[in-house]
Amino acid sequence: MIDTALIVGQSGFPDPMGGLTLSHYLFVSAAMMAIGLIGFMSRRNLIIMFLCTELMFQGAGIALIAFSRYHLNYDGQTFVIFVLTIAAAEAAMALALVVLLFRRRESLSSEEWSELKG
Amino acid sequence: MEQVVSPLILYAATGVGALGVMLAMPKRRGGIAAIGGLLVAVAFGGLLLGMLALAGPVGEAPNLFFYVFAGLAIASGLRMITHPRPVYAALYFILTILSSSGLYVLLSAEFMAFALVIIYAGAILITYLFVIMLATQAPSEEDEERLSDYDAVANEPVMASIVGFAMLALLSTMLFTGAPDLERSPYLETPGATLASQPVKIERMLLDPLREVEGPDGSPIVGEDDEIATRETGAGRRAIVDVEARLVGVSPRGDDGVVDASAVRMVSVPDELWPDDVQGTNVEGLGLNLLGQHPMTIEIAGVILLMAMLGATVLARKQVDIEEALKARQARRLAGDAYSTVSSGEVEP
Repeated sequence: MIDTALIVGQSGFPDPMGGLTLSHYLFVSAAMMAIGLIGFMSRRNLIIMFLCTELMFQGAGIALIAFSRYHLNYDGQTFVIFVLTIAAAEAAMALALVVLLFRRRESLSSEEWSELKG
Repeated sequence: MEQVVSPLILYAATGVGALGVMLAMPKRRGGIAAIGGLLVAVAFGGLLLGMLALAGPVGEAPNLFFYVFAGLAIASGLRMITHPRPVYAALYFILTILSSSGLYVLLSAEFMAFALVIIYAGAILITYLFVIMLATQAPSEEDEERLSDYDAVANEPVMASIVGFAMLALLSTMLFTGAPDLERSPYLETPGATLASQPVKIERMLLDPLREVEGPDGSPIVGEDDEIATRETGAGRRAIVDVEARLVGVSPRGDDGVVDASAVRMVSVPDELWPDDVQGTNVEGLGLNLLGQHPMTIEIAGVILLMAMLGATVLARKQVDIEEALKARQARRLAGDAYSTVSSGEVEP
């Protein structure tokens, strides 16, 4: 009796995927991740490289929201809030660093800093 | 386990896409970027069409908005990584953000869709645009000539495209063929289980009024020690509630604070106590989840934001000693700019 009562609920989510499956959203997420990866590897402008990492964050966000919808709980959406927080913090720090590097070398090229050592 | 796109289409499309991105990457000479763009469009269009043709049971209407938003997000993402001008790349990224917020709405995550537009497109990307404009030389009429070298020529486009699209092909092979259980969640088959997924809301909305009600024998129906009965499922804790029969499951709390699941009893909620609208909204569910289950994470996020703010301020205020040679180069560049604008306007015949 409890088992049947468990799954009866108020209609909050209409049939969401509308003929789509989880795979559809995950494919978009994977495509954005791959595009961001290509951009990060092939572009030489520091700012564009950071933009590409933001694109990869977006891919991860779509996957999280799609899984949150799939499992009907809010943990995925909550996690996207933290992803946004980290993205904002990262953007602030990265752009401050980029401004500093630009003042030193008058260039945004990543190859200007290829002699950095660990 | 249903195969969404046949692997042959998938591998062909990713190969064509890799070739297209390779050609579309910025370079100085022999630009056939248009052909590259066409190839990429064919590749991703083929993939999306394949998903369209094979999605869902026959006769079910395809969700047009998904394909529009997904296509826009992917296309503007590709244009972002292939556009030589940083400002345009940032603007294309804003288009990607708007399209993915459309996807969020389709996934019924309305709050996150608005938060994405406000935080990403409104705040983060504006900061990026400011820095791009601060740190890039202004372009003149002859666009291609004034592009910096590091913007105009991509670094290893062939290897990057191959690696990126190989990753995409592998990921999508797993998504489309390998991973089992891509059927819909069983909770979707029932008309919504959002209320059951929010025990805190039921506690607040139904159980607290019930504590005031007295049964026929004078004792309260729900005692002070009773809690809403929950049950651990694969997708988190679910309350035991029957919305149509207006029953709520309660169980006494054990000595150590743990709800005793074996002693669940179903309590009927009187009609006057049943709220008109018990439907869980997205913002409400998100807020309860955020504050109820991840309070420590919010604190950590706050600390991270504070550290980022302090760090950015300290970094950006730092005075940089530029070498003499660089100073001279800057002076020459500025002087050269002034001279060339004057000369192009007046001296030339």
